[in-house]
Amino acid sequence: MSEIQPVPLPPQGAEEISTACDYCVVGCSYRVWRWKVGAGGTANTAVPWANPSQHNIVQWQGEPHHVLVLPDPQAKAVNPKGNHSMRGGTLAQKCYNPENKTRERLTTPLLRVKGELQPVSWDTALDIMAAVSKHVLKKHGEHAWGVKAYSYQYFENTYAITKLALDAIGTPAFAPHDKCANSNDAAGLDDAGLEAFAPAYEDWGACDVLFLSGTDPFETKSTLFTSWIMRGETPDKTLIFATPHRSMGVAWAEKRGGLWLPVIPGTDTLLHNAIARVIVERGWQDQAFIERWVAKRWEVDQGYGRGTRNTPWQWRTTWGTWQSDWEDFRRFLLSRDEHRLEDAARITGVPAALIERAAELLARPRADGTRPKSSFMLEKGNYWSNNYMNSASFAALGLVCGAGNRKGQVIGRGGGHQRGMISASGNPDWLSPEKHPGRRKKPLNLDRWLMDGQLRFAWVFGTTWIGAMAASDELERHIARLTRGSPHQPQQATVAAAAAALIARADSGGMVLVDSDIYPVEPLGTRYADLILPAATWGEADFTRCNGERRLRLYNRFCDAPGQAQPDWWAVQAFARRMGFADKFAWRDGNDVFEEAARHSRGTPYDYHELVEQARREKVTGHEYLRRLGGDGIQTPVWRQGNAIAGTVRLHDPLTRQGEPGAFRNKLLNAFNTHSGKAMLLKTPWNFPGWSEFYAAVQPRLEKQELWITNGRINEVWQSGFDDIRKPYTAARGLPQMLFMNPEDARQRGIESGDRVRVSNDTVYVQTGLPLGVTEHEMNFNSLLAAGHIGITQGSFEAVAVLDPGMRPGVAKAGFNARGSHANAVSHAVPDPMTNNYRYKLGRGRVERLDASAEKNDLNGPSLKPRGLA
Amino acid sequence: MHTHDEPACQSRRDFLLCGGKLLMLAAASGITEAVWAQRAGHAPLAVARLSALKPGEPHYFDYPRAGDLNMLVKLGVAAGGGIGPQADVVAFSMRCTHLGAKLQDTLQAGIQVLGPCPRHLTTFDLCRYGVVITGHATASLPQVVLELDGDQIRAIGMQGLVVPDRIRHV
Repeated sequence: MSEIQPVPLPPQGAEEISTACDYCVVGCSYRVWRWKVGAGGTANTAVPWANPSQHNIVQWQGEPHHVLVLPDPQAKAVNPKGNHSMRGGTLAQKCYNPENKTRERLTTPLLRVKGELQPVSWDTALDIMAAVSKHVLKKHGEHAWGVKAYSYQYFENTYAITKLALDAIGTPAFAPHDKCANSNDAAGLDDAGLEAFAPAYEDWGACDVLFLSGTDPFETKSTLFTSWIMRGETPDKTLIFATPHRSMGVAWAEKRGGLWLPVIPGTDTLLHNAIARVIVERGWQDQAFIERWVAKRWEVDQGYGRGTRNTPWQWRTTWGTWQSDWEDFRRFLLSRDEHRLEDAARITGVPAALIERAAELLARPRADGTRPKSSFMLEKGNYWSNNYMNSASFAALGLVCGAGNRKGQVIGRGGGHQRGMISASGNPDWLSPEKHPGRRKKPLNLDRWLMDGQLRFAWVFGTTWIGAMAASDELERHIARLTRGSPHQPQQATVAAAAAALIARADSGGMVLVDSDIYPVEPLGTRYADLILPAATWGEADFTRCNGERRLRLYNRFCDAPGQAQPDWWAVQAFARRMGFADKFAWRDGNDVFEEAARHSRGTPYDYHELVEQARREKVTGHEYLRRLGGDGIQTPVWRQGNAIAGTVRLHDPLTRQGEPGAFRNKLLNAFNTHSGKAMLLKTPWNFPGWSEFYAAVQPRLEKQELWITNGRINEVWQSGFDDIRKPYTAARGLPQMLFMNPEDARQRGIESGDRVRVSNDTVYVQTGLPLGVTEHEMNFNSLLAAGHIGITQGSFEAVAVLDPGMRPGVAKAGFNARGSHANAVSHAVPDPMTNNYRYKLGRGRVERLDASAEKNDLNGPSLKPRGLA
Repeated sequence: MHTHDEPACQSRRDFLLCGGKLLMLAAASGITEAVWAQRAGHAPLAVARLSALKPGEPHYFDYPRAGDLNMLVKLGVAAGGGIGPQADVVAFSMRCTHLGAKLQDTLQAGIQVLGPCPRHLTTFDLCRYGVVITGHATASLPQVVLELDGDQIRAIGMQGLVVPDRIRHV
């Protein structure tokens, strides 16, 4: 008992600052206690118990201060009474403190000179960027100037970034962190008229049956799972999971009478349609809801007097494929052989009895005639495999069951990141060289654009780009070739010399790469970037955004940013002023950006315009008004109610009150997001060639002993991996990369838990060139292949095998976006022709044993147990 | 009084063992509350006889204070910190390190796992010093330091941070 490592308790009078978690979509409320190091006083024992990972020492106004960062014990809305995940529970450890591993933070701009990164001033960095950018825009055009940016890291930053890229510069070369184009996420939901984040957390808590597709919220939305889904208004609810991995949430659900539908990757559409067919065959559909809320024929065809051409599902393809009304959809379900139980069971790999049972649970009316309240949550396991059809068929299944606009009966995304995007401008799609066959322009695939050598200047904000995108290895090879592979490298750290070298690179077909982040990003920043800009992040500036139920909070500043790090909006503005856009970028602080962005939020699910108006009436800033609302914040859309403002629990709900007469009305509040306000049933034929040709081509090849290689999120490091590798316990308890394998698949390959394995795919398809769709089939896989627009590349990654009987045979799953191990390397960079989104989850590969990992027999090491041990 | 050094124990082994430390809650004005912590020694307590243990059968005992419930089990496979000829006898706190819920009756002996915690489903690996397999806890499950004297198993200390009683069970 001689050594003491104390965690201090705050003294009475320590400052309390509300905030919300930096990481996953759930956005739990947190509270920071801050007091000066060495301050005396009586301990405040009312502060909740803190463990060592919840304490840190930060600089505040240049003085060292203790901080405790704890889940808010008074939280009512998101994480009642202070529930938390491992990620949020260790938030304090992300704060900059040069005494621990956060010392790796970027503190100054860096310029690569003679191949080595060296510190330069902000002025030098920004002057170089402006000189190169002006040249690129003049000589190569706005298409050659691109941005790859997070879509979530606070409204102030995303608004500034989109204002620069899409408005001031006006480039179509823009893509968010998780997509190769500036496209919809779950486009089938959008086309059905469903806002992906319409539901509230209380809805997920208030259903009787919850169908979860391509996600286990235990892994990815921990507090939503443990505080709402496991509890909420109906704690006895039944969960139905469609996923190839029986992880903890699935195992827990099965034990309580729920279902695991172990779907073969890519077959969800057919699973949805087969369940819907059982429901319709037996007359279990919610006919009253359908009559009232599903668009009828004439409502499907109407559209502001411009006909259906103005409807997204018509942009996406030629006439007649998707659109439907109830009678037509019913015929579609009942007429197609592959929707029959036995056929669907064979193709999806889900036993017929489970399909039937799922239909019963979701829709069979009870003896008293009442219906179960069924809700439907999907996430990337669903829509990053068959992007359009999985999400469209999912929406249709939910609508048939009467979900979409009522408490406990909702359809939506569980969510990945928080909702931190306010776009300053529509994507200038009209400048995009890509188009749907015979129809509208579609957003530009930035990866393909880069690989084709069209991108001469790229500014990356807060994303790995390489590991996050499909065919990661091929993307990295091109980035290497275009940057470090160029003979034109700065040899001196002066603006003139560096700019001249980088301009010469751009003119000779290379690319100049700028990377804004908080840590050096491996490998994008460390190996390839010419300039690295240090960003200030969570806790270091006042920021705002919404969580997965549109709950808007102020993420308060409570510590100093390291060195010269600045919020990204500041860097964007400083650059824009050098580019001659000073009149558009005249913000004094983050609040100015927040208030300006409010106008652009109108009509969206994240509409907070009325909050800023109310702040003006009360003569405070928008940030200050939001600060007063604390950790519970307010749910957008915000609307005016007399002399006050009110929030919105769920969207599309006809019972939601809104607004004074004459006030701006947000249609999303009371109706579905379609012309008619009714939802669309969309047909999703399994043999649609935009899907079926690709799916046939990417099947695992038995002759090569390949498995499906899918990837997913791992609870303890999900969305926090960049910090977790620097948090002592989190880093020590986990493997850097895992490959979950069915024990029989592993045995056949001589693999045991703890063995290092290499996963490789010698045929990774990558769409190349600039194919233009004119006739109907030209953008489908076989036509692209015949026309020479499909390249064949290789990809591989290494991992430590974990044998898991909860893994469907024939499928292995790796962690997504692990540092140094890109599971996306074995998935194909051929986007869904409907949406231009990749199908990341459909990788394939051989799995070969390399050797025993250091962790295999180390009892001090991380656990090698499977995850679904309920 | 306090500088927040990176935990002195950098390696995984050191981190998980983190020997010889007592973790405390201390206020600027002085220590106000102590919690049982990293490999703290306590008065030895006889908890079981080795010859009486049946594999996979949990044996509960309070230590170091009355009300601090622990579980001793013979796992049948070697475990970190295990005693006995097969190094397979271990004992752990029954208090989840996430939010303090009670873990008794959650032993999955066949796979040497404790949990899932009934409140939020965290699981702990009993072969590897109680490390979190999945879940929300920010520390491993505290392990009882055992010694074997002939056939007598004694608890002699705690390794890890036991969540105090007053934490709320969310």
